[in-house]
Amino acid sequence: MVIKHKFILKTENAWSDASEPLLCMDTGSWRTARPVLDKEKCNYCGLCALYCPPQCMKDMGDYYEVDLAYCKGCGVCAKECPRDVISMVPEGEFTDG
Amino acid sequence: MAKAQKGQVRVITGNAAAAYGAMLCRPDVATSYPITPMSEVAEQLSAFRADGLVDTEMVEVEGENSAMNVVTAASMAGGRVFTATSSWGLVFMYDAVQQASGFRAPVVMAIANRETPGILAVSGGQQDIISMRDTGWIQIIVEDCQEILDSVIMAFRLAEDFDIQLPVMVNYDGFYLSYLATAVEIPEREDAARFLAPLKQQPERPKLVPGEPLSCGTHGIEMGFMELRYKHCAALERATTKLDEIDKEFGEIFGRSYGGQIEEYRTEDAEIVLVTSGSATGTARTVVDAKRAEGIKVGLVKLRLFRPFPRKRLAEALKGKKAIGVIDRSVGFGWNCGPMYMEIRALTPEIGIIPMLSYIDGLANLDITIPHIERVIDEVSAAAQGKPYQEVTWIPMEE
Amino acid sequence: MVEGTKKRNKIFDYFREKEELYAGGVAWCPGCTLELTARFVPKVLGKDMVLVGCPGCSAPVFYGQNVGTWHRMTYYSCLMTGVPSSATGLARYYKKIGKDVTIVCFTGDGCAADIGFQPLSGAAERNENIIYICYDNEGYMNTGYQRSSTTPLGAWTSTTPVGVAGKGKPTPSKNMPLIMAMHGAVYVATATLSHLEDFAKKLLKAKEKKDEGFAYIHVFAPCLMGWRIEADSSIEVCRAAVRTNYFPLWEAENGKFRLTHEVASPKPVTELTKLMRKFSHLKEDGLAELQKVADERYALIKSLCDASK
Repeated sequence: MVIKHKFILKTENAWSDASEPLLCMDTGSWRTARPVLDKEKCNYCGLCALYCPPQCMKDMGDYYEVDLAYCKGCGVCAKECPRDVISMVPEGEFTDG
Repeated sequence: MAKAQKGQVRVITGNAAAAYGAMLCRPDVATSYPITPMSEVAEQLSAFRADGLVDTEMVEVEGENSAMNVVTAASMAGGRVFTATSSWGLVFMYDAVQQASGFRAPVVMAIANRETPGILAVSGGQQDIISMRDTGWIQIIVEDCQEILDSVIMAFRLAEDFDIQLPVMVNYDGFYLSYLATAVEIPEREDAARFLAPLKQQPERPKLVPGEPLSCGTHGIEMGFMELRYKHCAALERATTKLDEIDKEFGEIFGRSYGGQIEEYRTEDAEIVLVTSGSATGTARTVVDAKRAEGIKVGLVKLRLFRPFPRKRLAEALKGKKAIGVIDRSVGFGWNCGPMYMEIRALTPEIGIIPMLSYIDGLANLDITIPHIERVIDEVSAAAQGKPYQEVTWIPMEE
Repeated sequence: MVEGTKKRNKIFDYFREKEELYAGGVAWCPGCTLELTARFVPKVLGKDMVLVGCPGCSAPVFYGQNVGTWHRMTYYSCLMTGVPSSATGLARYYKKIGKDVTIVCFTGDGCAADIGFQPLSGAAERNENIIYICYDNEGYMNTGYQRSSTTPLGAWTSTTPVGVAGKGKPTPSKNMPLIMAMHGAVYVATATLSHLEDFAKKLLKAKEKKDEGFAYIHVFAPCLMGWRIEADSSIEVCRAAVRTNYFPLWEAENGKFRLTHEVASPKPVTELTKLMRKFSHLKEDGLAELQKVADERYALIKSLCDASK
């Protein structure tokens, strides 16, 4: 038998290796609405960042901003914000999605 | 390598021999769960631990399935591991057994063979060996208590070899060998350590290290999966000749050698050959000698390595013979013959089309007796002379 | 601009690990409480642990794909029947070679309460030095929302559907955390995602106790898809579960029970059930039965806590 296949795994057994770049999905493309945060009203409590399942709220020093690459648009941040500072706005209203 | 010192000779059971073999190799983690007829292996190993003879982490698991998972994980973390079970316990850990070989974990497991569930039996038989054929493990079958001890030591050497990295089952007939006490020479610890020392010179296999980004048990996706299966099968192939090498080396050091993949007894000038495995081989030797004295040119092949199947060496040993009789201590479901017979029959292209006779005997502690084997030799001899023969015989059913 | 100093919630102080250990985009549903749990745990416990898991909702992210992986933790993936037993093997070996390691089993309720219960029970009884975290989404969610033994009474699942002859699950859930407490584990606790500080404290307590023996944390982790919850309501559901005493927050340290969060005026379970559609077929009698189960369970836990004082 002539093997033409180039081996993917260097080991004899099944190991995955995180010293290589991590796999990543384009989960930002999932959402149908995105959180919009009113910086003026934000008191930096960070609950949106704590409750965000994909942990994609970026700490901007004294307010939070969503990382649109990974935000799935669930709306938990908007729901949990104690000061109602975040609103979920349909993706259709943006041209950068 | 220098010869080993003469070890202490003690009268011990097959189970104890398995425990001694493991103890001499100092496993890091071992599990124990009782099942007739091997509970004594667990007891003996625990006693060694309690007496400070070995510092193995003994885990008294709550079931055999856990037993295999515990040792596989410890093995993937880099440890030397050992466990023992039988039939029902073996079948209970079937999923974990597959994981062990798929992970290429060098687990060594001693099995006191017993009939598998389906028909309740607390008695010996090789059906549990057969039930594990396709698990990707190396399966060795031994004949007597000394061979149990020696084979456990050799099993560690084989399993952990960097070129192999496969789990090994050391099988011995439950009830016949497990409870049989015979004189066994127990090697000295330094000699066993010396025998395993070459492993330290080899590259280290990958292991699970806390905090390191290497994760064990990744998905095999498409070609990734294919690769791993391919590598696994290739390693099994390499295990055939590796066992021969290891057995030879063991012989040079300890003065006892078992032939490696198969043992050929008086086969060179034989016209007909008997194939047996396990403790029945001992009885077969006696009958072969008696028949030889009568002028019948019969030889005996002891099948030691069942998986990977010793195709080459068996083909060489059986080629040119006039007829073959295979005694199976198990059944081949779906083929209605002995399973080892079936696999030997697959060697027909290499051996030639000659009468091959299947004998099913010795299930559920029914003895494979001298008269049985005499009958086998007589019938195989007649077949070799062109007389009509019955392909499959369930010997006890005809009595 | 808001007056006064802007201060972040104190929960952030519990984070030992600042680095996000997962890729930004991984395959968990929007709003998934498991995603929050999975990302939260290593931030509190630190990255230097070995995580042991099995098939389930966690697997698509924890398992590598060939050589690639979605996270930077040390992970051992095994069978559903072998998680705490594999963890035992790791724990014993690392102990033998003198390595101080935090081993965390991370599975769903299907594994912990059903197919993997035997090894869990065995490892707990042997008091192995392991932390076991069970995320309870009350069913086998990854395979299509089938029922498990932690699915509550009357709940719709794909194998206990509602129809002319079906009324949802006919039996109440197994009280997993209490069962684990009865094993004599050195630390057992319940936690959920609406009470993150409580959860963080319990994780740290478990880490402290694991040198003594077995620690178990049961996390109430609603499944939005399987329970039919709105995407933005996952935290609200957790909170409602606590406020109705459907899922009381307690811990048992060496057999001493304590409520870590006492609800002053518990709401009726309907406050919880109205947030999801898996109970929407239940009439008054069905809801009353669910209320009864919740009340009796709470009373039992309360009495254990009172007896521990």
